[in-house]
Amino acid sequence: MRAATVLRGTLPFAVLVGAWALVAGAGAVPAMFLPPPADVARVAWELARDGALALHVAASLARVLVAVAVSVPLAVALGVLVALHRRLAAVAEPIVAFFNALSGIAWLPLAVTWFGLGWASVTFIMFNTVFFLVFFNTLVGVRLVPRLFEHAVLTLGGSRRHVILHVLLPGALPSIVTGLRLSLGFGWRALIAAEMIATSTGLGFLIYNAANFHQSDTILVGIVTIGVLWLLTDRLVLQPLERRTIERWGLVAAGS
Amino acid sequence: MSGGRAATGRWELAAAWAFVLGTGTAAWALAAAALPLPAYYLPPPTAVLGALAELVVKGILPLYVAESLRRILLAALVALGVGVPLGLLLGMSRRLADFAYPLLNFFQSVSGIAWLPLMLVWFGFGERTILVAVNYTVFFPVIFNAMLGVRSVPRLYVDALRTLGASRGRIVRDVLVPGALPAIATGMRLGLAYGWRALIAAEMLVGAHGLGFMIFSAQAFHLTARIMLGMGIIGLLWVVLDYVLLRPLEEATIARWGLVQR
Amino acid sequence: MAKIALQGLAHEYVNPFTRERVRALEDVTLEVDEGEFLTVVGPSGCGKTTLLNILAGLLQPTRGTVLVDGRPVRGPGRDRGVVFQEFAILPWRTVERNIAHGLEIQGVPRAERAAIVRRFVALVGLEGFERKYPHELSGGMKQRVAVARTLAADPAVMLMDEPFASVDAQTRITLQEELNAIARATRKTILFVTHNVEEAVFLGDRCCVLSRRPGRVKALVPVPIPRERRTWRLLTADPTFAATRDLVLRLVREEVGGEDGAR
Repeated sequence: MRAATVLRGTLPFAVLVGAWALVAGAGAVPAMFLPPPADVARVAWELARDGALALHVAASLARVLVAVAVSVPLAVALGVLVALHRRLAAVAEPIVAFFNALSGIAWLPLAVTWFGLGWASVTFIMFNTVFFLVFFNTLVGVRLVPRLFEHAVLTLGGSRRHVILHVLLPGALPSIVTGLRLSLGFGWRALIAAEMIATSTGLGFLIYNAANFHQSDTILVGIVTIGVLWLLTDRLVLQPLERRTIERWGLVAAGS
Repeated sequence: MSGGRAATGRWELAAAWAFVLGTGTAAWALAAAALPLPAYYLPPPTAVLGALAELVVKGILPLYVAESLRRILLAALVALGVGVPLGLLLGMSRRLADFAYPLLNFFQSVSGIAWLPLMLVWFGFGERTILVAVNYTVFFPVIFNAMLGVRSVPRLYVDALRTLGASRGRIVRDVLVPGALPAIATGMRLGLAYGWRALIAAEMLVGAHGLGFMIFSAQAFHLTARIMLGMGIIGLLWVVLDYVLLRPLEEATIARWGLVQR
Repeated sequence: MAKIALQGLAHEYVNPFTRERVRALEDVTLEVDEGEFLTVVGPSGCGKTTLLNILAGLLQPTRGTVLVDGRPVRGPGRDRGVVFQEFAILPWRTVERNIAHGLEIQGVPRAERAAIVRRFVALVGLEGFERKYPHELSGGMKQRVAVARTLAADPAVMLMDEPFASVDAQTRITLQEELNAIARATRKTILFVTHNVEEAVFLGDRCCVLSRRPGRVKALVPVPIPRERRTWRLLTADPTFAATRDLVLRLVREEVGGEDGAR
């Protein structure tokens, strides 16, 4: 059973690579535009061996991790706090929605103005993107928790604090997790773009720099790495998180 | 509102808004004047308004806005015209859908911007590079979701129609397409969200006239007021697009089918 | 001293959509004794749920006093346990963790908690389902969890707001009989709101009939049937039951007006 699913997952890629090899091999397209898979594999090996790939992957991942580690707790805490006050929440929602809409690469020129070129600006972009999206989803998620649940726990003698921790937070969790998924999606893309412009390490830089030297094989290595990293994030982080919360509790997430 | 709290009065809300915007702007102006930073770090609100006036009068802003909008609109049309039908077709065949799923998933995970360097090698620094990157970005979520949308239509409905003697074409028209509509709307919304941001990034990198270029080039000259103006417009345009067009569209399609199919 | 004492209770609110003042309750005066099972019936909109919410402390009445054990009610609290009409158990907790919730709040140590939970799981007949999540349960089972949760917290008084309304007819009958057994065993003071007259007479020691809006106490009808006799098999043939039910039905119908009656 396991083998069958693995096969089903990899066969399409095998076919794709096969088609790719055929087109490249036929000589219709110059190698500079479409390097054959063998070349790309060779370059991947070289980059991995001399640590360059690891360096760039680590740089990008480090930025993601730092941004997420700082922004998510902050966003959730603020989101819960604001959601508790009806008027504040009503006013805050559109403001946060606007900043959501603005999130990402659009902040780069301003970030560079403030922080100069380098990892600070780039991490700021990621932080920004994750923060507002998770904040928004937390805000909406908490406000959507049925009053009924709050009442039920109050009639059990639960304190306000207990209600926040044991009703509002778990109730908002599906929304928060969805927010995390979305923000990682947007954030990761913004990060790559920012790395192309504002810094000299990271996968974005790797592929953009390679373009200057017409190194299409390196570019493709970078692209595949980006795709694989996202799929790993999805498979190893997001899906388990969703399984443990949304699916386990039979809930539907808001705000997707 | 946690399921049932009384609605906030409209006047209250407007008053709260006025208060927030007023104090926000005042605080901004104050910070701009008082903070011991070089002028270009935090221009006052008036500078931003000045930039607005200047760029409108010079015709630059309308041009840039039009260029950016043109590109995203084009991508939307391509995604609708090509992505949706292709997605529907893929969805109708179980084999094809299973085959395409991992591929589409992968290609969607790699944003158009990641392909930009390769496009630079192919097409150089030009309009085509931007268009390919943006179209790609919008395209994949749309085709992917369209395919999934078709696959998510309950078998029950198809069978029911078959027992009424419906032809394949009729089933497609009366069951599969309407059934996939919510997913298509969601795909469009997601694709355009990604696409709008990819557009800004692409304009920055390729240097063609547009909002992305505007804020990027402004940075080189420390024209921070222009940056802020540009950012405001970028955000505003998306908010308008999303809340006025895309979300209602998505909600309308979901409402048509009642609850989301699970 | 009565367990629950309502004096001159009145409640008014403004409908947020139509902006009109609604008088939900008017001059409700009522006493419930310790260990009594009081059911409250009345036509739709007569304020039964409002009454219950006021007692629960989830709503502040515009006039009147509410005393439980001689003390005024100020807000929700564990002395007044509530079983709601809709499924109010937390979807992210298993059956046993939901039932344990009140005990957790009270700080009961783990071992003791486990023992109490086991007892109530057995009481409501949910053995084997302790680790299930609410979305895996049927409606009837969910309400059993809700009842167990409230009981386990050992409130002074139990307030039940049409708890069996969202449950199918077969299950409802079973739940009613189970509730009867529980009431006998625990001798809790229970106030049970329902629109179903048969249910009200089946369960209640007394049946309080509310008038139509604004709700007043129209009548307090005693149900002189010993609790041991209260099974559906026995009562369907019991003339006292039939007479009491017909009386209450007539009283409610008068409030509804029109021929179609209390349904």
